Amino acid sequence: MQKVLGDFIHALRHAGLPISSAETLDALKAAQLVGIDNAPLLKHSLGMTLTKRLEHRLTYEQTFDQYFTSHNQFKEGYQEAPLQNATEGLEKHAQTEVDSLKQAPLNKPETNLNSPLAQQLMNNDMSAIQVMMTSAATASGAQDISFITQVPMVTYRVMQALGDTELQQELVALANSDESSATVQLLRQRRSQLQQQVRDYVEQQYLIFNQNEPNKLRESNLQKVNLTSIDHRNYKLMGELVRKAAKRLASMHSRRRRITKRGLLDVRRTIAANAAYDGFLFHTKWKSTRVDRPKVMVVCDVSGSVSEVARFLLLFLYCLQDVLPKVRSFVFSSDMAEVTQLFEQRDMDQALAEVMQKWANLPSDYGKALTDFEQIALADIDNRTTVIMLGDARNNNEDGNISVWEEVYRRSQRVIWLNPEGEFSWDSADSIMSKYAPFCSHVETCNSLQDLNRILGSVLKRAN
Amino acid sequence: MRNKDKINSPETIKQHFETLGYICSDAIATSVYLACHLQKPILVEGPPGVGKTELAKKASELLSAPLIRMQCYEGLDEAKALYEWKYGKQLLYTQLLKDQLGDVMRGAKGLDESVSRLHQFGDIFYSDEFLEPRPLLQALRSEDGAVLLIDEIDKADQEFEAFLLELLSDFQISIPELGTVKAKSKPIVFLTSNNTRELGDALKRRCLHLYIPFPSKVIEQKIITAQVPELNDELKQQLVAFIGELREMALKKVPAVSETIDWARALLLLNVENLDHEWIKTTLNLLLKFQDDIEAVEPEIDNLLKAATKEG
Repeated sequence: MQKVLGDFIHALRHAGLPISSAETLDALKAAQLVGIDNAPLLKHSLGMTLTKRLEHRLTYEQTFDQYFTSHNQFKEGYQEAPLQNATEGLEKHAQTEVDSLKQAPLNKPETNLNSPLAQQLMNNDMSAIQVMMTSAATASGAQDISFITQVPMVTYRVMQALGDTELQQELVALANSDESSATVQLLRQRRSQLQQQVRDYVEQQYLIFNQNEPNKLRESNLQKVNLTSIDHRNYKLMGELVRKAAKRLASMHSRRRRITKRGLLDVRRTIAANAAYDGFLFHTKWKSTRVDRPKVMVVCDVSGSVSEVARFLLLFLYCLQDVLPKVRSFVFSSDMAEVTQLFEQRDMDQALAEVMQKWANLPSDYGKALTDFEQIALADIDNRTTVIMLGDARNNNEDGNISVWEEVYRRSQRVIWLNPEGEFSWDSADSIMSKYAPFCSHVETCNSLQDLNRILGSVLKRAN
Repeated sequence: MRNKDKINSPETIKQHFETLGYICSDAIATSVYLACHLQKPILVEGPPGVGKTELAKKASELLSAPLIRMQCYEGLDEAKALYEWKYGKQLLYTQLLKDQLGDVMRGAKGLDESVSRLHQFGDIFYSDEFLEPRPLLQALRSEDGAVLLIDEIDKADQEFEAFLLELLSDFQISIPELGTVKAKSKPIVFLTSNNTRELGDALKRRCLHLYIPFPSKVIEQKIITAQVPELNDELKQQLVAFIGELREMALKKVPAVSETIDWARALLLLNVENLDHEWIKTTLNLLLKFQDDIEAVEPEIDNLLKAATKEG
């Protein structure tokens, strides 16, 4: 049972479920307790011990069905107590195979067969062949396939490991002596059935263990790729990744967040404070914890020059506001607008579409935008506020209104500027990055998801 | 564990729950079965009003064990959850015993002897006499086991969640002045969450995870039969189908099982035989708790009713 469960958990981990050793042990205990006779009960029990998030439940259920309907190890190892429903499909499948082989003309071989595989096929020794197939498939790396196109190659390897070469040679020799012999016909038929079975098995192994691998690869590549070069095809996946990143950051943030408490009686301080009154308690002292809830203001440039990345910055902004308690969001090309409420009320696609339609793709004017910002939000900035600017500081040769940014910095002391352009192009042409940079506590290039993760991670760390 | 025969299989648990008026799915029965036999806490998640808290109450009835309930909220700390010293009593005793102090110290020579005499009494103030047990400690000290319900754990802070870890994995708690208190008989623990905040992995790892969704139509009808047995079958079917349609709509708060029951009771009281537009309109406020939702549903009543009767 341990081996079967171990493989099952391995498959779940491949499918992206984070399963710890403690949970593996629990699953084993649960399986021992409920037994394996009742598949739905086993499914519920393992589900409760192995999946702790609703979003993983579907993957779990699919993998369970796939694994226990296809995994013949289970049937072999537990013949005395087969899984009634879960292995039903498998049993039927195996039975049809065996039946079809039995129905074939079973003349006793006229010649002595030399190759072991040929002997096993002629003796109809299906269970031995299946055991061999399972171990050969594992040895040939069926569980490590990353792409479906590798299935034929692994099938070929498994066949080789089973002794297909010798079988083929023997078939050729037999055919030369008597082409129409019943033995040759039967052997050929059984060989092709075996081949199909191996192929099915390898394919199932791919489905169980590795069908998510290409996605993982794509995800990790997307993390690194420059935001400007992502095509529309990957927008959706990117959205998911951004959301994940924002969620992770938010949980990091909330861990450090202090909460307000009325507190308990502080006996030590109370006694100390009343020592002068002969122990009579005139003054009670209470323990209390510091209330500290840093605010975050994010300002996002959505003008023409950053149009390629604006969507992602907005996406990030939206997700961040969704998961952090006190975020105020602003967007601008030349006029600045607060979109906090819009983000709160609308769902992601609607909100982003509205922002893009109303404010995006116009010529940027940082000076005008900062004047607006001064009126809308400057008064609310204090030393607990972190201000994040997402923009390229390309100002079309206008006045940048640096004094407002200086005031923002003076009040907040935590000002982060994330520029989607590489450092080498700052200050080139109409960029006035170096004028804003002295009034930022942190200036960084940020043009991939990995950058966003790294920078904001460290920002939130320092913000507490 | 008492009542062993009541929990010897998920099927038995399900049947016993039914006799107690709690209709549950296989998953719920399995979770209780596993929790009792593996001695693991259950984290119950699901939308509000599907019977998460009720599950703990019924489990306590089933096991004939006392239900100890702890409602979580922001700012909850170990003093309110575990124990508190009776400060008032301690201070009062100090004042009363002041006069006795002279007797205790009488004859003591030098500071060393006085201090060592004082030490003999020093720990009295931090003993059981002055300890006020709160729900968690009560559950641990319960002689014959108890059902501990930690309700809405997602409302508590992460610090509190971390504090619970020792209790959930080893059924013990460390009190600095008294040492480690270990459970006399391990309680069955239910934690409920509405997912207002993501719970930590460490907590989830220690628990079985049960998600209770809105019940299927068949189960919901059974629930109504159990709770409002006088309601006729046809109306029951219409009612459940109508609620099912409402749950498909994008509402601020979709009606929960408890609201279905309230509605069924109200319709019974009003002697309604068949659902129609007027009755639904007049009783809609029993199902929907936001004016926006009521305004959104009112124009759709006819369509919903048509869809519901078609299904029914």
